[in-house]
Amino acid sequence: MKAISVQVEKAVKTYGGVVALAEGNLTVQSGEVMALLGANGSGKSTLSKILTGVIAPNGGQVLIDGKATSFGSPQEARKAGISAVYQELSLIPDLTVAENIWLSHEPIRGGFIKWQEMRANTQQLLDLFKGLYGTNLQPDALISTLTPDERQLVEILKALSFDPRLIILDEATASLDSRQVNRLFELVQTWKSHGMAIVFVSHRMEEIFRIADKATVLRNGRTVGERVIAESNERELVDLMIEGATILQRERLPVVDEQKPVRLAVENLRTNVLRGVSLQLRDGELLGLGGLQGQGQSDLLMALFGAIRCEGQIVLSGQARTFHHPRAAMKADVALVPGDRGSEGLLLIRSILENLMLASWSRYRTPIAFSKARADGGQIAQELKMVMSSLDAPVNSLSGGNAQKVVIGKWLLRSPKLLLLNDPTKGIDVGAKAEFYNLLDRLRDAGTAILFYSSDDDELLGLCNRVLVLHDGEISAELREDKLTRENLVAASMGASA
Amino acid sequence: MNNRAVQLLNRNPYLLSLLLLIIMVVINRALQDNLFEIGPLNGNLRVFTPAILVAVGQTFVVIAGGVDLSVGAILSMTNAILATQIPQDATGDVFVRALALAIGAGLLAGALNGFGVTVLRLQPIVTTYATSFIFAGVALRILPEPGGRLPRELTSFWRNPLAVSPDFALPMSLIVIGLLILFWVVLTNIRYRQNLFATGSNAEAAYSTGIRVNWVKFSTYLFSAFFATLAALALTLGTGTGNPRAGDQMTLPSVVAVVLGGTRLAGGQGNAVGSIIGALILGLIGNIISFANLDSWVRPLVDALIIIAALAIPGIFGVMRRLTR
Amino acid sequence: MNTSLNRIRSLIPPPLIALMLAVFLFVFGGVLAPGFTNPDQAVNIARLAAFLGIIAAGQTLVIISGGEGIDLSSGALVTLGAILTYRLTGGDDAMILPALLLVLSVGALIGALNGIGIAFLGMPPLVITLGMAGVVTGVIYFYTQGQLIGRTPPAMGRWLSQALIGPIPGVIIVWVLLGLGMWVLLERTAFGKQLFAIGINRTAARLSGVRVNLIVVLTYMLSGALAALGGFVLLGFTQTVFLNLGQPYLFPSIAAVVVGGTVLAGGKGSYWGTMAGALVLQVINSLLLALRVEEAFQLIILGTILLVLLTMYGRQRSVRQ
Repeated sequence: MKAISVQVEKAVKTYGGVVALAEGNLTVQSGEVMALLGANGSGKSTLSKILTGVIAPNGGQVLIDGKATSFGSPQEARKAGISAVYQELSLIPDLTVAENIWLSHEPIRGGFIKWQEMRANTQQLLDLFKGLYGTNLQPDALISTLTPDERQLVEILKALSFDPRLIILDEATASLDSRQVNRLFELVQTWKSHGMAIVFVSHRMEEIFRIADKATVLRNGRTVGERVIAESNERELVDLMIEGATILQRERLPVVDEQKPVRLAVENLRTNVLRGVSLQLRDGELLGLGGLQGQGQSDLLMALFGAIRCEGQIVLSGQARTFHHPRAAMKADVALVPGDRGSEGLLLIRSILENLMLASWSRYRTPIAFSKARADGGQIAQELKMVMSSLDAPVNSLSGGNAQKVVIGKWLLRSPKLLLLNDPTKGIDVGAKAEFYNLLDRLRDAGTAILFYSSDDDELLGLCNRVLVLHDGEISAELREDKLTRENLVAASMGASA
Repeated sequence: MNNRAVQLLNRNPYLLSLLLLIIMVVINRALQDNLFEIGPLNGNLRVFTPAILVAVGQTFVVIAGGVDLSVGAILSMTNAILATQIPQDATGDVFVRALALAIGAGLLAGALNGFGVTVLRLQPIVTTYATSFIFAGVALRILPEPGGRLPRELTSFWRNPLAVSPDFALPMSLIVIGLLILFWVVLTNIRYRQNLFATGSNAEAAYSTGIRVNWVKFSTYLFSAFFATLAALALTLGTGTGNPRAGDQMTLPSVVAVVLGGTRLAGGQGNAVGSIIGALILGLIGNIISFANLDSWVRPLVDALIIIAALAIPGIFGVMRRLTR
Repeated sequence: MNTSLNRIRSLIPPPLIALMLAVFLFVFGGVLAPGFTNPDQAVNIARLAAFLGIIAAGQTLVIISGGEGIDLSSGALVTLGAILTYRLTGGDDAMILPALLLVLSVGALIGALNGIGIAFLGMPPLVITLGMAGVVTGVIYFYTQGQLIGRTPPAMGRWLSQALIGPIPGVIIVWVLLGLGMWVLLERTAFGKQLFAIGINRTAARLSGVRVNLIVVLTYMLSGALAALGGFVLLGFTQTVFLNLGQPYLFPSIAAVVVGGTVLAGGKGSYWGTMAGALVLQVINSLLLALRVEEAFQLIILGTILLVLLTMYGRQRSVRQ
């Protein structure tokens, strides 16, 4: 393999007035695993997309083997030997596994695709992960029929099929299980020894220390430092990432009052993903849900909200309930803050007021008493300390943290008795997070029952005094008080019982 | 319904259309004894051919996630060109020149659509709707009233079956259908097919994989315009004359034929052979109704009810699948 | 050029741009065709635009509802609405109200069928409404058997088409009232707010308790009823019916919606915009007539103008950022 050295110097990318990347620097060469670290919104993805030609930078330059290069498109980057595994998958749902992997570089003879060869090559690539995926994953399987981890594997193999000199793994391990991750890391070691350069983007510190040689840290769109992993430690990197902000340190919460009524009791809940989940939640309790992503946490919350079909028993406020539509759950004073703000929570081009009121319009009679609605909206905005130009500004003009406040405000307007939170602090800044934690405290003190899934272990450790860990659609552990430690949480996430 | 059958249908949606076609043929045969004799067969297929060609062209656009509402107007325009450029005493040279002119005009029209959709980034429905006015206007400019008469040798070449042996003749339109299928088979084995389906299924993913999505979309409008021009040729040869409004009633049926053929309107899935089947189904429904001795004022209603039922079949299957799971 | 265009668009709301365009074209028309710009012509244009605008009302709702929403059955429903009124009243003024109620119900029923096909069978709006257009046309043939018997009640002509208040014909008043009604519906009812919501993001709407399927069915019902109403009103103008009465209004009604700044992808728009769009299209149409442009050039000019207007409003996001 031909050696490669890649340098990004002072790359800039702005969208309208919004700066996604202010000064991105990155150097990586053959035989090296470079980790790219940063909080959400720090510009990691923008920087890696500039490298792969998906995004055209507004300034700065990319040097390949010392030569200034500007990629007009992803295929130009690929010709230069750079290929990427994206976080948002780049697979075509209506094509097969083989067709996806070889898309745009199918083996051909005389213009005709050599299907047999394509299938055989695909099988060969699949064998790299032999024994680590289901029987569903075949060269001829349609992508739309695969599970998330299988799609992730196909995505990795697709990047590999281009024989890259530099491969970018952008959160490529997010939906893989631990055995698949281990295998991927073995492969990375092999690629490295063959002279490939690897850029590894991950939010899992543990993985970075396992696999990376060096780390480049971004903060607020700027490269703020490069460290050699062997000479650094977690603390140092985290400090670089968050600029002096301390990790969430809070007092242990008081033990839940067993006198309070049980708001929610779930018995043997099953969906396509859940395999029998039971739990109890009292008023004024903040119950955490932990575990790796995609272990059924979203399904549990969605099922409780009537958004997906489920079997099993749900007793809410002492009554057995089956919700066939979120509307029914909503009327029973249940609220859900969904996991993906943009696609599940907000009407991006509509105003803040309309977003806040979406679940409440019918309370204002017909025709709508608009000044009343506006007053209520203004009040909740003030309560949540929303930073905005006006209630009529489109919601997509807000920062992540403020946008999330709109989603939460929408439900607070209905004063829910049971609040379901699906990873609500994802992609919001430190300040907004602190405000959000205070809000949770207030709601809990006011007696709201809260079921809280977070992908951030620190949040669960700091906010909850009881955490249910999901693994593979089942509760693998219930951690409380002394047992609620980082070690136990991680162990239970991997399926080990605490 | 067992699982394998469902899976087979999922992978090959046009099988359902094939079944529908067979049913239509059986019904038609029951009403019309001589359906398979060379005379009626030749006549029927010849009448269906323009619709088949337009539907095949439409398939490309729909698979890539668009729709072309200007195919009818392009057909009118090129029909007008052919009818005015081929006088009754035309020689081979003149015919070839006229055909080249028509194809050139057709491709130019397709390029305008492609330009609007890719460079100007306009919605396909309204873009092709707007351009259809332009093409219809050009058609009227070239040929204000129906007219023109093509040389008899030319029309009879197309109208009469090709005698393969003394007692076996093949309708010309059947040869055209054969060529279309061959064309599709070739196409599905080259890279263009992958690019086309990827673009329609998920344009952003296709782009990040290095497919020139805009070129692919652009090309589909060239295909639809080209096939609309061929349809105009088939129509001109069939009728021996020109009509500046010939395509008015061709656009929407072409969309129906494509959907009947199992192509997904949202893009990413589809099959030109299915569209041929879809167009044949539409033609046969018309045939059946005219042979069923229905009151002529009932015919449009029966026609429309059959079509809407056929269009609803995939949806009904979907509901059944959800209920049985 | 592009950025300045964007700036103009963000400063002036699209309905106002369209209205200014209509006024400009009307005044400019006087330069091209002397005598074009006069009060009588203005009233006449507004009256003709009113028919198109009323027919385009349902289309506005359907397009706002998103999900590639479009109603191709509205042209046929216009015809059906006019024919039903023509035949049921038989020229009797007393029958106008019963006929109107029946026309609205039939329109709503057909619309509901569209909505059910879309919401519950997952059929693309383009496909089912296209199929339904065929069915409605079939129903018209079956119902009339080709015999267009009936008469227009004299009151309809008096109240709708002829000058009612000063020089202003009733249809313009009906149109303005409809405009107010549509504004209340879209901006001051829960239905309207939920309609915008499903137009943008059906998942988010559902997760906020919006019954998406119900809203879709209601929207297409309204669209059907409004199209049939359009036919009823149109009869007051034409005084007679024919089998192809409404079809020529179908695509102009879509164009009016788009010219008025309603986004074809859904979730954003207004009926004020559609009203202004109808005026723009009607001014162009009348101007081309006044200029005695031959039909071929009329079509070419209309298509080109549509393309230009679309370029101003209808652009989509690019794949590459």
